[in-house]
Amino acid sequence: MSTVGYAAVAGQIVVVGAGAPLLTGWMRQVRSRLEGRAGAGVLQPWRDIRKLLGKEAITPAGTGPAFRIAPALLVATTVVATALVPLLSTDTPVSGHADLIVVVALIALGTLALALAGLDTGTAFGGMSASREMTVAALVEPTILLAVFALSIPAGTTNLPAIVTGAVEEPARLASPAGLLATAALAVAVLAETGRIPVDNPSTHLELTMIHEAMVLEYAGGDLALVELGAQLRLTLLLGLLSSLFAPWGIATSASWTTLALALVLFAAKVALLGAVLAAAEVFWAKVRLFRVPELLAGSFLLALLAVTSSYFLSGGS
Amino acid sequence: MVPAALATASGVGGAGALAGLLLPCRLRVPVVGVLTAGVGAGGGTAGVAALEGSRWAAALPGLVPLAGAHVAVDALAGVFMAVAGAVVVAVAVYGIGYAAGDGPHGLGSRTAQAVLPLFALTLVLVPVAASVSTFLVLWELMALGSLLLVLAEHRERASVWQAGVWYAVMTHLGLMLLLAGFALFAAQAGGETFAALRAGAQGVSPALRGLVFVLVAAAFASKAGTVPLHAWLPRAHPEAPSPVSALMSAAMVNLGVYGLVRTGLDLLGGGPAWWWLGVMAVGGVSAVYGILQAAMAADLKRLLAYSTSENMGLVIVGVGASGLFAAYGDRPLAALALAAALLHVVNHAAFKALLFCAAGSVLRATGLRDLDRLGGLRSRMPATAGLFALAALGAVALPPGNGFISEWLLLQSLIHGFQVPGVAVAVVLPLSVALIALSAGIAAAVFVKALGVGFFSRPRSEQAATAGEAPAPMLAGMGLLAVLCAALALVPGLLGDGLDRAVGAAGLPGSGALTGGGLRVRLADVSASLSPLWVVAALTVALALAAGLPRLCARRRRRAGARLWDCGGGAPTPRMAYTATSFAEPLQRVFDDVLAPEQDVNVTPVRESAYLVERVRFQRRVPDRIEHRLYEPVLRALAGTGQAVRRLAGGSVHLYLGYGFAGLVVLLLALTVGW
Amino acid sequence: MSDSLYTQLLDVTCGAFLLAAVIVLWRRELAAIVRVFALQGVALAALAVLLGAHEERWDLIGVGIGIGALRAGALPYLVRRALAALTEDRQGYATGGTETRETQPLVNVAASLLTAALLTLLAYAVSRPLTDLEPTPATRALPVGLAVVLIGFFVLVTRRRALAQVVGFLLLDNGITATAFLATSGVPLIVELGVSFDVLLAVLVLQILTTRMREAFGTTDIDDLRELHD
Repeated sequence: MSTVGYAAVAGQIVVVGAGAPLLTGWMRQVRSRLEGRAGAGVLQPWRDIRKLLGKEAITPAGTGPAFRIAPALLVATTVVATALVPLLSTDTPVSGHADLIVVVALIALGTLALALAGLDTGTAFGGMSASREMTVAALVEPTILLAVFALSIPAGTTNLPAIVTGAVEEPARLASPAGLLATAALAVAVLAETGRIPVDNPSTHLELTMIHEAMVLEYAGGDLALVELGAQLRLTLLLGLLSSLFAPWGIATSASWTTLALALVLFAAKVALLGAVLAAAEVFWAKVRLFRVPELLAGSFLLALLAVTSSYFLSGGS
Repeated sequence: MVPAALATASGVGGAGALAGLLLPCRLRVPVVGVLTAGVGAGGGTAGVAALEGSRWAAALPGLVPLAGAHVAVDALAGVFMAVAGAVVVAVAVYGIGYAAGDGPHGLGSRTAQAVLPLFALTLVLVPVAASVSTFLVLWELMALGSLLLVLAEHRERASVWQAGVWYAVMTHLGLMLLLAGFALFAAQAGGETFAALRAGAQGVSPALRGLVFVLVAAAFASKAGTVPLHAWLPRAHPEAPSPVSALMSAAMVNLGVYGLVRTGLDLLGGGPAWWWLGVMAVGGVSAVYGILQAAMAADLKRLLAYSTSENMGLVIVGVGASGLFAAYGDRPLAALALAAALLHVVNHAAFKALLFCAAGSVLRATGLRDLDRLGGLRSRMPATAGLFALAALGAVALPPGNGFISEWLLLQSLIHGFQVPGVAVAVVLPLSVALIALSAGIAAAVFVKALGVGFFSRPRSEQAATAGEAPAPMLAGMGLLAVLCAALALVPGLLGDGLDRAVGAAGLPGSGALTGGGLRVRLADVSASLSPLWVVAALTVALALAAGLPRLCARRRRRAGARLWDCGGGAPTPRMAYTATSFAEPLQRVFDDVLAPEQDVNVTPVRESAYLVERVRFQRRVPDRIEHRLYEPVLRALAGTGQAVRRLAGGSVHLYLGYGFAGLVVLLLALTVGW
Repeated sequence: MSDSLYTQLLDVTCGAFLLAAVIVLWRRELAAIVRVFALQGVALAALAVLLGAHEERWDLIGVGIGIGALRAGALPYLVRRALAALTEDRQGYATGGTETRETQPLVNVAASLLTAALLTLLAYAVSRPLTDLEPTPATRALPVGLAVVLIGFFVLVTRRRALAQVVGFLLLDNGITATAFLATSGVPLIVELGVSFDVLLAVLVLQILTTRMREAFGTTDIDDLRELHD
């Protein structure tokens, strides 16, 4: 078990690490094709990151250690979370520690680090977007934890591999209203956490409408590469988490090389499909105003709460 | 060992008080500081011994008139004694540096230095009390001690008086409630020692038990600073000298929780679900309301005070959940919830004491509490900034901070509550999970604001730009607290057995939640585990790798300096940077309906023409709405009654004598008719 | 149909039914609200058909199909026609754009969503004693019906546009029908027919009223009816 297990963890990190820029490239490509443009190709984000990594990092005047360490911390939290989430296999050496609340908290830690870096620059844009980012992050939290609650009721634990294994063994859980509502709630939360349309527009060039991008205006070179990579990793991880929770088929539940290989292929396919759907949706949606975002999040909160209550009254629990 | 340690603490405390009274100004601060630390060490030792399983009880008939003093130490008391002891040691060391800067005034004054060791002693001793009279005497001494210390800086600022009045009135109203509740309880149970109360509680009728609980719980909730009886806390904490704020926030408010657990779960032996639903509602509302007010606060110490209100709210949610589960018969889960609550008390004490001390260092160095005028302190006071950041990490409840561990445990106990039957549980649990999550989310924003605006960015005032690092004793005290925070974050399992014993002392079976280096929740068929040490190790490795990646790839290793992006408009000035107020603005708009901010726009036109504006004055205040709505009508009514009563006192001596005569006659009449 | 499949389908239908009510609360665009309302009619019909199929009562299936025709077809059609009448002369009035959107409900959208969450919990708490009498999959879903009743009432209370209120009223009625189905496995055919006829008439009357109101006041903001008082 141990070799395969370690291989699975390493595989998760490598696949997400190497695949994250590809996923972003793929989503941009889908989007540009739908909009009638040729697109820069799937590999473009990879080339960007390679180029940025080769350049020297910049320390803007008056910034401190928080500014310098934030990009690495962003990547580090995401990588640790990636190791914990059962993307390929539920039977890994870390599966005992893979608590859903810990994963959520690690991702939040990355957000926090970047917000502090934004404030550290002392510019108006940095402070503005740090403030907005923290507001959105604060409002997303109830949705996420209630969705966690709803998911952990049938499994009886917040341990991620246990939840996923339970769902693989008993697919009816996924089609229950609780499962569907929790999916919807978590999907909205993922959009907010990754700063996608309709909460934030990742490709905007207007500082005043930015949430995420204005925090990282001051970064350049290697630091910028880490920030970009961190955002891409986070998107891949969260889409992978969604697919693990709500379409867990194919994830290896035992330690064997063949199932692991199959899980790898299926994981790539699922995330690519989710990415394509998201990209297509972004073509048709518009970013909502900042002060309409709470409405969206209140809606997703309601969905999560309904997921919890419906798992109480519909499945006959208690 | 327990009695010896307690006797030492008392002796040292007395000596400290004498030293504070008698010694000259220069000597008294260090001597009193060391002796106060001795009080903390003695109390802490006794607490740790109690956590390790020693028990001690004694009756000291001569100590308090009439009833005599009864004392007892069990593991539940041990938790609070150990916390108070540890906080007192660190804060006393810190206080040496802090009071030295005051000279003969403020915290360095004769009164303050004489009261400080006694206040520390009462903090350690209140949990030891084992009879109603002993408890109330110690409780009142603690309140008086803290009141005198809050007033220490009354010469410097007029606002201290106002805070002192609020605090004195509210704490004595609490004492009256406590007195009424305990008197009723003791009369019904037929004895005033805790042992007699415990034995007699089951014989008391449910309605009376409920009344006792409501009275006592209201008093304790007020001491814990929970909504709606919190109004004293955001006034007294900012105005007190910082070491005193730290003691109050990290040790004194905990005793409200202690009282609630001791009476509710132990003496009254648990109660019906409605008690605990009420407790949870109070806790949940204060958690969210407290942190929202903290998000709006621009005063650093006021922000921390409101955050205390939030954290005590979380603890009280845990206590309420514990009582609720026990009421529905799920005792293992009740034990887990209580263990989570107690662990949060410990964690909160560690990080909040450190936060207040760091805020005190900032205040000492700059004379400012206003975040909008601070900034850029990380380069002038690197150690203080680092310590503040460490404590803030604990406060935001994210790994690898220590607050995360107890909030995780609390969430686990609530999430696992779905097995408990009962409509009330089913309705309350999701709501409390949501409230805790919301408060945790806003707490992240609050401490990003405090750290990012106060310590990062650039100085927004002359004082902030010329600040200097805190002196060595202050750094040493904060260092002790930082070590505590780190230990609690990395190896919470060390507390495992002690917490189990404490929960057992409250009449619930041990939870066994904390074992070895990690946490493991194991109930009937559900389990969850968390290994803080492992998470920290993984994060460190990943951080090192991620930080190394650009260095490996870059062609030039050195970082280049550059100007900030200024949109081509010239270098940004500190006035352009986001302030605490602007940082909180989006949250304030989102929670507009809850906070009800007051806004005032004054446009002054030029004299010649009404269309030309000379000056626009914009003012926005976010008042404490509960205080506004709840207290002001009461205060107005009281003032009105006072005015009306003044007419009775017309100044005529005959009238006054007449009152006495009439009173006597009425009393005699009543006696005749009554008999 | 196996029992587990029946339970599963029933749960999903109920979930969709409740979700539709929530989305009505969420959206501002009246056209979207009407579309969602039609979907809810489909879910309600499916619910009736499902119950009928499970208990092998053909009359129930018939009622279900009838309900589907009325609530997913006729009623949305009528409301949409009223809406079209409002938008037609949009250029004629400056307020035309706001007529088709519920721009400023009395309680803002985020707060009404949170209220809906509390209402659902209330519905759950209230219906527990009923569920405990006879815990079948259908009675377990009783809170869904009750929650939709409460949410419908809430829409009726807080929305300004006359048409949004009509939809609120219809939600309320959908909720009552669902509760009846879930609690007693359907009311007699004749009662259901009567109720449906009533609802149809009510909507027709309201539609006419809305149009009249619009002609008289130039808006369908219910608050403007206060002027009649003076």
